Amino acid sequence: MAKHATPLLDELEKGPWPSFVTDMKRQAETHPECWDILGQLELSYKDKITHWKHGGIVGVFGYGGGIVGRYSDVPKKFPGVEHFHTVRIAQPSGLYYSTKNLRALMDLWDKYGSGMTNMHGSTGDMIFLGTRTENLEPLFWDLTHDLDQDLGGSGSNLRTPSCCLGESRCEWSCYDTQDVCYHLTMHYQDEIHRPAFPYKFKFKFSGCPNDCVAAIARSDFALLGTWKDDIRINQAAVKEYVAGNYPSNGGAHAGGDWGKFDIKKEVINLCPTGCMWMEGDELKIDNAECNRCMHCINVMPRALKPGKEKGATVCVGAKAPILDGAQFATMVIPFIEVSKENEYENLIDVIEQIWDWWMEVGKNRERVGETMQRVGLPTFLRVMEIDAMPQHVKEPRSNPYVFWKEEEVEGGWERDVQAFRRKHAA
Amino acid sequence: MGYDPNNPMEGRITDLGPRSYTEMLPPVIAANKGKWDYHEIIAPGVLLHVSESGAECYTVRVGSPRLVSIAYVRDLCDIADKHCEGYLRFTTRNNVEFMVDSKEKCDALIADLKTQSSKFPIGGTGACVTNIVHTQGWVHCHTPATDASGPVKAVMDDLFEYFGSMTLPAQVRIALACCLNMCGAVHASDIAILGIHRKPPMVDHSRITGVCEIPLAISACPLGAVKPAKAKVGDQEVKTVQVNAERCMFCGNCYTMCPAMPLADPDGDGIAILVGGKVSNAKSAPKFSKLVVPFLPNTPPRWPETVAVIRKIVEVYAKDARKYERIGEWAERIGWEKFFEKCEIPFTDKSIDDYRLAYDTWRTTTQFKFTKATEAYTSK
Amino acid sequence: MAMSIEEVEAAIIAKATKSPKPQLYIKDFYECDTERKPRDIKKIANALVTKGKMMFWSSGSTTMYALPERIKNEENAEGIN
Repeated sequence: MAKHATPLLDELEKGPWPSFVTDMKRQAETHPECWDILGQLELSYKDKITHWKHGGIVGVFGYGGGIVGRYSDVPKKFPGVEHFHTVRIAQPSGLYYSTKNLRALMDLWDKYGSGMTNMHGSTGDMIFLGTRTENLEPLFWDLTHDLDQDLGGSGSNLRTPSCCLGESRCEWSCYDTQDVCYHLTMHYQDEIHRPAFPYKFKFKFSGCPNDCVAAIARSDFALLGTWKDDIRINQAAVKEYVAGNYPSNGGAHAGGDWGKFDIKKEVINLCPTGCMWMEGDELKIDNAECNRCMHCINVMPRALKPGKEKGATVCVGAKAPILDGAQFATMVIPFIEVSKENEYENLIDVIEQIWDWWMEVGKNRERVGETMQRVGLPTFLRVMEIDAMPQHVKEPRSNPYVFWKEEEVEGGWERDVQAFRRKHAA
Repeated sequence: MGYDPNNPMEGRITDLGPRSYTEMLPPVIAANKGKWDYHEIIAPGVLLHVSESGAECYTVRVGSPRLVSIAYVRDLCDIADKHCEGYLRFTTRNNVEFMVDSKEKCDALIADLKTQSSKFPIGGTGACVTNIVHTQGWVHCHTPATDASGPVKAVMDDLFEYFGSMTLPAQVRIALACCLNMCGAVHASDIAILGIHRKPPMVDHSRITGVCEIPLAISACPLGAVKPAKAKVGDQEVKTVQVNAERCMFCGNCYTMCPAMPLADPDGDGIAILVGGKVSNAKSAPKFSKLVVPFLPNTPPRWPETVAVIRKIVEVYAKDARKYERIGEWAERIGWEKFFEKCEIPFTDKSIDDYRLAYDTWRTTTQFKFTKATEAYTSK
Repeated sequence: MAMSIEEVEAAIIAKATKSPKPQLYIKDFYECDTERKPRDIKKIANALVTKGKMMFWSSGSTTMYALPERIKNEENAEGIN
């Protein structure tokens, strides 16, 4: 029996897309606090404003992240959501689950929480949505002791790293994203659970330039798979595409009326560098001119594959708009080996070089991309001990105001104005 | 034994991290990791991956509302136990994927899912509108300017035909963030639904000293619009802040740091629409989404104005763009002036950047197209 | 003469006690021992939280440090760490 009337939310039970309202009502049968979630949400729909207030210092002892505190501003009306803290649970790399583990997690949340979750939050964690302060420690106890798993990050911490599914089910992945993600997550448990930085710091791992986890848009440290040799071509498969026997773009356009596949129009002419051509019925690529954008590979997955000498490009400093505007990550290291063999030591070196500098120079609440912008890319490259190269910019600067350093100028900056005056009358 | 509140440190375990991904892989995935040869979308929502070994993995993708109950997750587990040897995965766009190793199992899985299609719509692959990534909105957040799950449900209901088909020129990625903090990375989406505030924060002088550190509130403002001040509360003079409303850009950063500066408002808040962003490096470089509709009102429960604008953009794009062209690539090819004209979106000065680095977006060429917007200059 | 960990801990507590600001960023503690790298200062400050001598305060996006008795919060009574 509904505890609150929800005429506005009931409108969201209509339509073909699965309804969170229907789902929540069903859960309310066993978790009555869901009625209060619905009740308060209905009130927000009526008032057109949120009824949640700031969280503050809620957490589990010794961790600076993983729990986000939340309280209702109408607790008398909706006592079931008076406290409504979220718990971030670190997700397995690639978001695969055994039902055994997923059921155990749901049982845990059944015991301590509201019954609602997000699968998943924006950063990648599993989100348990809504519990009381006094449940946090017992929940954490069971999570660690019985399920052998842990919370994710929030606040000025390393946020829970995330990755695309990588080699597990994608032929394009240029390194094992899941393994790097898992390894670094374990390596940096302290930084994930306790504040470490001027502001949040995110790692994201994409296996190829298609960037399915939006690393270049969202992470302070983005590792995007790439290759340094030639795109592999299967000429027999090229012929099949040209003959229309294989669907273009892996079948992604099958529902549209696009006519017969035209390799010239759909691949060669859309190549951003114009580095492809046909010689008879063979596809040729001038790989030295290729910028590895993935378009041709996306369109003809059975004929073209990334090269064999694989690794990744490191981009640094992406963020959402708050406060000076959004930034994409800037290409910093064109190619880096990504190898289990050295336990990703070379990546760790790069990460810690960034951290050591940013912790010193970064202002409070300044993402590393903002620090880079404030000090300038040349300064950041010097910190990283990386020589400037044209690949670091879209185009050279057009203003001439270079910050020359004294040691770069013959004779230095100390000069004798008297000697100057002897030759030049005032 | 369990947690003992009288002895909280006894037997405490920390820093375990997540469970290893290696425990979570379906057998066909574990056996063929790193050996996949190619893939094909054999029907909307159904992927086939073929291994160098000849092994096949069939994946069926279904949409989920992201905000889901434990009962719903257990339903997913039931399906995975019945068909998929007890494994499943989620995508970064809140879809759910069930994987099996043969066509027969795939057919049985699809047949089963189709009996529960109101809960598990199949789709979200290829040139489609896939699931909307979004934030919490009024369901959990303290700073939102709109709801998240409601507008997402309304938009997905309206665009449902595009979720289960692959008729568009390219994939259309929609994202919603319920305030300018953009917890969801809407800044690089084909279509972004963004909650915005339009009223400067109020200052609760009676609360501010108790809940807020004034220097933090002041330094939180990127435009220096928050200044120290004194105010009378009863007969007491308290240290507080004042807001220079003319300089406020409604970002809400002050409220993040200081609970005594609320800015949400039923009339002030609403939705902005941004379009043309992309993350992938394919063909063109990643692009930011651009603001094309500066404000639409919050109209719960189904946000018809927002739904209508998005449908219009998707329909015009579907008809006008070339194969493989993302919304941003299409708008750049035809010119943004044509985008506004074709989508019948009135252009306002709100779409002209006047924040930092604004000049980069101003037109500094004589190359443009005449549209209705220039008629005042071209008609006799 | 390098400072011992105990001396750095004492300097951090002194800073958190005397500072006009009750809540401090990790950067505010770097000056407690300028010979140590920021990451080492951070580790010492976090260890003080584990010992119950300091607390974390978090807005969700930003985390700060304070003495338990100086922390400001919407729900002051709710603090447990």
